[in-house]
Amino acid sequence: MMRLQLDLRSFFERFKIWAVSFRGSITLIALAGLSLFPPITRSVYWTQILISAMIFAIFAASWDLLAGYAGQVSFGHSVFFGAAGYVTAALVRYLGVNWILSLIAGAFAAVLFSLLIGIPCLRLKGPYLALGTLAFSLILLSLFYMGPPWSDILGGSEGISGLPVPPNIFVAFYLVLGFMIISLFGMHAIVESRLGTLLKAIRDDETCADASGINTTVYKLIAFMLSGFFAGIAGSLFVLQQTAVNPAYFQPLYSFYAIIMASIGGIATIFGSIAGSFIFWILSEFLRPLAAAALLIFATLLILIVRFAEEGVMNPVMERIQEYWDKFRGM
Amino acid sequence: MIEEVIIFGTVQGALLALLALGFSLVYGVGGVLNLAHGAFYLITAYIIFWTIPLFGFTVSAIVGLIAVMGIAAFTSLALIKPLQDTHIGVVLVTFALAFFFEQFVKYFGDPLYHYIAPWVPGFITLLGINLQAQLLALVIGSIALVIVVTLFINKTKIGKSIRAVSQDAEAASLVGINTDLVLMTSLVLSALLVGFAVIFYAPGNYIAPHIGWRYLLLAFSVTIFGGMGSIPGSIVGAFIMGYATTFTDYFPMLGPEYSQLIPIVVILVMLLIRPQGLLGKEEVQ
Amino acid sequence: MTLLLEVKNLTKKFGGLTAVNDVNFEIERGEILGLIGPNGAGKTTLFHLISGFEKANSGTVRFDGIDITGLKPYQIVNLGMARTFQLVRSFRFLNLLDNVAVAILSARGKAAFGEIGIDEAASTILSEVGLVDKARVPPVILPHGDLRRLEIGKALGTNPEMLLLDEPFSGLVHEEKEKITQLINRLRTEGVTIFVTGHVLRELMTLVPRVIAMHHGRLIAEGPPKEVANNRIVLEAYLGRGEEFA
Repeated sequence: MMRLQLDLRSFFERFKIWAVSFRGSITLIALAGLSLFPPITRSVYWTQILISAMIFAIFAASWDLLAGYAGQVSFGHSVFFGAAGYVTAALVRYLGVNWILSLIAGAFAAVLFSLLIGIPCLRLKGPYLALGTLAFSLILLSLFYMGPPWSDILGGSEGISGLPVPPNIFVAFYLVLGFMIISLFGMHAIVESRLGTLLKAIRDDETCADASGINTTVYKLIAFMLSGFFAGIAGSLFVLQQTAVNPAYFQPLYSFYAIIMASIGGIATIFGSIAGSFIFWILSEFLRPLAAAALLIFATLLILIVRFAEEGVMNPVMERIQEYWDKFRGM
Repeated sequence: MIEEVIIFGTVQGALLALLALGFSLVYGVGGVLNLAHGAFYLITAYIIFWTIPLFGFTVSAIVGLIAVMGIAAFTSLALIKPLQDTHIGVVLVTFALAFFFEQFVKYFGDPLYHYIAPWVPGFITLLGINLQAQLLALVIGSIALVIVVTLFINKTKIGKSIRAVSQDAEAASLVGINTDLVLMTSLVLSALLVGFAVIFYAPGNYIAPHIGWRYLLLAFSVTIFGGMGSIPGSIVGAFIMGYATTFTDYFPMLGPEYSQLIPIVVILVMLLIRPQGLLGKEEVQ
Repeated sequence: MTLLLEVKNLTKKFGGLTAVNDVNFEIERGEILGLIGPNGAGKTTLFHLISGFEKANSGTVRFDGIDITGLKPYQIVNLGMARTFQLVRSFRFLNLLDNVAVAILSARGKAAFGEIGIDEAASTILSEVGLVDKARVPPVILPHGDLRRLEIGKALGTNPEMLLLDEPFSGLVHEEKEKITQLINRLRTEGVTIFVTGHVLRELMTLVPRVIAMHHGRLIAEGPPKEVANNRIVLEAYLGRGEEFA
């Protein structure tokens, strides 16, 4: 009991220090702005878009955890997204399970799939791993699209639809906001921990990690499971928002979205995924009149970012803001 | 059934050989897995499709070949070379390029399927099976090109440099071989082979913006089967894969729905049991 | 003294080339043994075989009475045998403290240093190898000599009973070589068994009382450095390649 109090106090102390620091303040201001958005604008339309953006921020960050920190580049991340989505949808629709339990079940289903992919793909490196994981997602995509007898179990191209609509979009907004904050801070805590040090070590030089006595196999699997878990949360949330799931959830496009968003925000930043996802969704909205050009513009953007701005946008922008911030506080 | 498998398996194998040969070569030379390989096919097919009404097929085909070689040279110099030290960079940038071309043809064309008329008209009968004459041209063209490329690699100076670099890049650069030039040459060569695959195979078939990924997977599955970087491996692999998918196509109870899965299953199985492929060399640390 | 490492009939072939050919030798606990040979003699392959980075075609390696042939590198490290690389390796986006911390996070490292705390233990090791003032910088900006000592620091993080040092002097200037020599001598007084390669014998002359010499994958001589230096076969092995020797 005593110990817990002490920990709590030190937690609040650390929170205070963090809150007045530049990063802390910016984060809190941004979160406050985000949470004030629905009551101020009362726009159901934009609230929906921000919900999607927050869900994909979790998804992109889960990719970043695996690729940016553990160095395991996955092109099949949609597997976790879709697997969790299907499990959640089936539980809610056919068994009438409550949504939060279904969501947790969905996330654990994604962990199961992360082992299913992770174990066979462990010996693959770099581009081989990327294509191996891509192949997995394509197999699932084909299986789910197949006609009978497969479609009797998997739902065929129709998937599962008719899930209950969230009663209040604004409540849903704050729930998803809560999920995003917890997931992102959770992933951030992981990469900053000693476990994170080991993941980064494996990414930097696997042979050297091996020579340092680290069982790299185990840690790579842990990275797959953690990443799958958070990607699963995102997939389940997205299905609950869309009230339906279909084989398209497994399509490579969703994996690519995660890669694009994480790259825009900055690889190996976790929080950059929020920036990447919001930029992606809001820009998509403004580019809507241009229809097909939107994705063309994103493709161009991705090429330019990978080629010229490996860091992504978040860190450089934050540094610039920090300069002004320091000037402002110095006045 | 056996006749169908022989005939159409050979056709499929000839196509796969053209797709896989260059892909494997590029990997062997630079350790570069060019995820835009299928997109090269896509963009060549659309350039030809778009320009046929203007110039007719022959000129369009030449335009398509030149364009895809130019794109390959640009890709090598502007995108791959600067990112070669960061392997995630090459994977991401070639993927982004593939995605770009898919969206490009979708935007400037449309998302629908299009048909290119065969330039070798008519049908011929082989082993009692009716076959588009175009496909026979594919088989002959593919064999001719494979021979030419093999000669190029073995006899010319630049071809020998390609072989040297793929055996040991460090040693090759020590003896004064320009590895950047070699990488560019092999990428352009792979684009040329893909361009010929389009010329022989796209007419008489449908094209759509998403087909690039399928051709990438085909090339990858053949190369992983035959061994990354191994030229004989990719040719042998191409024909084995060709017969296997055709066999599944015609096998009762299975059908084309399942033969689509074959390349993907082959990728996984090979990656898991023998990552160096049938004829690939074991990697030495 | 008791036997710590026992290598028996070890052979490794790459295609037609036999890189290590029926090699036999032993190292006693607390000993320091040198391994010399011209470039390409098979020294590094022998190291890879002992430390589990390559699989031998035949032969056995026993460490501390345990057969470690075929074990994975990390398992061998956790039994108490750590190694360094001829081409220095490090985690380039981690600072030096974390570079060493990774080794301390290994099963054996944790068992030895867990009580002290990982950061504490890592700084202690960094000061032991003379890098504590650079604890917060990434390895990429370090000079070569520092990287060599970081390599040893990382190996020490696993609390090794035996150290395999692959060409620890290569590419270093005299003062840096001195620092490494002092470090090795200090580790010896602490009881660490050491197996060290060098391709010029002069570097090892004062450091080790006994060397083995390798050529074309075979052991060709064994004894005190002075004797081996005058061995006719060894001289020919070096002269035949026109390499600097003594």
